[in-house]
Amino acid sequence: MVKIKPAEMTKISITGPKSQLETTIDTLHDLNLLHIEDYDGELETGEPRDEAEGLSELLVDIRSVLSKLPEKENRREKQQASVEEVQESFEEVRSSVDRLKSEIEISKRRIKELEEEKDFYKALKGSEADLGKVRSTRSLDVAVADLKIDRFREKVDTDRYDIFKGRKASAIVFEKEVSQEVTSALQEASNEVHSIPSDLREGVPSEALRSIESDVQDVRDDREETEEELEGLADEWAGKLRFVEGFLTERIEKAEAPLNFATTERAFIAEGWVPSDKYDTLEEEVANAAEGKVHIQKEDGGEAPVKHDNRGPVQSFESLTDLMAVPKYNEIDPSAIIFLTFPLFFGFMIGDFGYGLTTLLVFYAGYRMFEGAQDIFKSLMWASFATMAFGLAFGDAFGYVIFGENSVLATQFGLEIFAQIPMLFHRATHLGQVFTVSALIGLVHVNGGYLIGAYNEYSKHGLKEAFLEKGSWILLEVGVALWYFVGMTAGLPVMLIAVVALYVGEGVEGIVEIPSLMSNILSYFRIFGVSVAAVALAAVVNGIASTAFATGGLLGIAMGTAILVIGHVFNTFIKIMEGFLQGIRLHYVEMFGKFYEGGGKKYAPFGARDAS
Amino acid sequence: MATGAEAAGIGAYPAISAAVAIAVTALATAWAQAKIGAAGVGALAEDDGLFGNVLILTVIPETMVIFGLVVALVVTGFI
Repeated sequence: MVKIKPAEMTKISITGPKSQLETTIDTLHDLNLLHIEDYDGELETGEPRDEAEGLSELLVDIRSVLSKLPEKENRREKQQASVEEVQESFEEVRSSVDRLKSEIEISKRRIKELEEEKDFYKALKGSEADLGKVRSTRSLDVAVADLKIDRFREKVDTDRYDIFKGRKASAIVFEKEVSQEVTSALQEASNEVHSIPSDLREGVPSEALRSIESDVQDVRDDREETEEELEGLADEWAGKLRFVEGFLTERIEKAEAPLNFATTERAFIAEGWVPSDKYDTLEEEVANAAEGKVHIQKEDGGEAPVKHDNRGPVQSFESLTDLMAVPKYNEIDPSAIIFLTFPLFFGFMIGDFGYGLTTLLVFYAGYRMFEGAQDIFKSLMWASFATMAFGLAFGDAFGYVIFGENSVLATQFGLEIFAQIPMLFHRATHLGQVFTVSALIGLVHVNGGYLIGAYNEYSKHGLKEAFLEKGSWILLEVGVALWYFVGMTAGLPVMLIAVVALYVGEGVEGIVEIPSLMSNILSYFRIFGVSVAAVALAAVVNGIASTAFATGGLLGIAMGTAILVIGHVFNTFIKIMEGFLQGIRLHYVEMFGKFYEGGGKKYAPFGARDAS
Repeated sequence: MATGAEAAGIGAYPAISAAVAIAVTALATAWAQAKIGAAGVGALAEDDGLFGNVLILTVIPETMVIFGLVVALVVTGFI
């Protein structure tokens, strides 16, 4: 049974002596049912338990250490540990982690420095200058530059120098006394003067390079060792820290809960919402835990939080509803509508058995990889199944016709049986059909929106409003249809009545909106557009590949295969984007615009994991 | 051998008109979406709960190119 409205909620208040505060909070947390409402009245709100502050600090520290530990798939598991155990060794673990982290940083920086030094010597490779030795003398100095040697010789006013030409740069060894002449000539005769490392290595550049290499290796080895040590630390502690993190988060949640309660010197009052069908459970459990010392009663008023109340596969489509807006408490939850039509739109637009499989693969991968978006991927998998179904109906797989008399499986591979399988129609040859179907879908979808809108109005304001505000639109369409099919005399009066009703119902705004009715229905031609583009794109890839195959030979076949694979992978993602965006926007804009208000407050029961 | 518009049984002028209808509306849509998209991403950076609203605002200009498509189909005699 599909529920069309969010779950019914009951507002309650829990009153009790402060001695029962802790028990009550613990019970409520375990029950995970009460959506606590912040208290804003004349009474004071409660104080957090004393432990809250200290625990928060520890929690922040633990999270910071966890973020520094390297991630590993099998380390995600939690590992039983007590807060005391962690608290005892925490300082040690933290300082070790910090030390190892900073050692790794230092190694990284050192390697970067060495790489820069390497570049310096590489430029000089091939020259015979032993720069280290030159620097160590008292009277000689050296400069390194990308030198135009002839020009330098022309410009320099001394001959007390020697040039060692390397692969990219040259080293000029000169007597210190003439450094001024050399420097000024350098400025005119070089593209770039390189800065010289403070510690020059002994030996000619090729020897220096070798010694740098071995230094780099040493640093790398050190770094690996440090990383292994960090890994070991993570193996030992990550699981425990994660466990304590979870435990502390819960403890703090409980410790801070009184902040939302009203308190007097000796009593507390908590207010909140529970799903109506769970009220009895909550009352019984809390009363039992507090040995009857707390009083629970139903209250009136306020804006109830919204808890989707769908069953089965519709549940995963709730995320698509919330992506647009959380429904209001007293309006229809459109998740079921998205479930009914979104996969159909997606499937009709892509309509290809092959892409149905590949998109399913992509969505399944997304489902496994992104924990936070599992519901969306689940709903998209339904869209993939619809795509496969339509693919079979259209006899299309990766743009190849697979069924009917033109089936490639029959003509190319002699599998005659596939030629016998009938198909609905092939979209590339029956554009007109796709077009008509798109228009019909639009008509049905938009009017579905009006009908739901009418129901919403009816349940809020009554039959008259429902007719004036939403029914008038449908009447207007009927008028247009009458004019078109029967004649002006039949259509015009109906249209006039509709316009007047619309004016009474929605005022001038309604009249101004009339052209948008047409644009909304026309908007469904995008289904036609995307559908035709989907067939054409697949055919383009196959066409390019077939020219490659036709050249024959190994290269041709390899090229053709590569084109097919790359092209269809590319197409898969294009189609996911098109199918999703165009499909979902037809719901959000064209259909929801007719009835959906949104803006509800999401039900977030106290105690729920991942509630934030 | 007949090619292009001729092969499809469409005169040259309707074919050109159809091309213009699609091209201009597509450019107009692109221009509008570029501006809205840039602003939308800015808004999302502030609050990613706005995703639904941003998506709706971004896709509104698409109506233009759909109209372009319809006009193109009309001038080529498809509907």
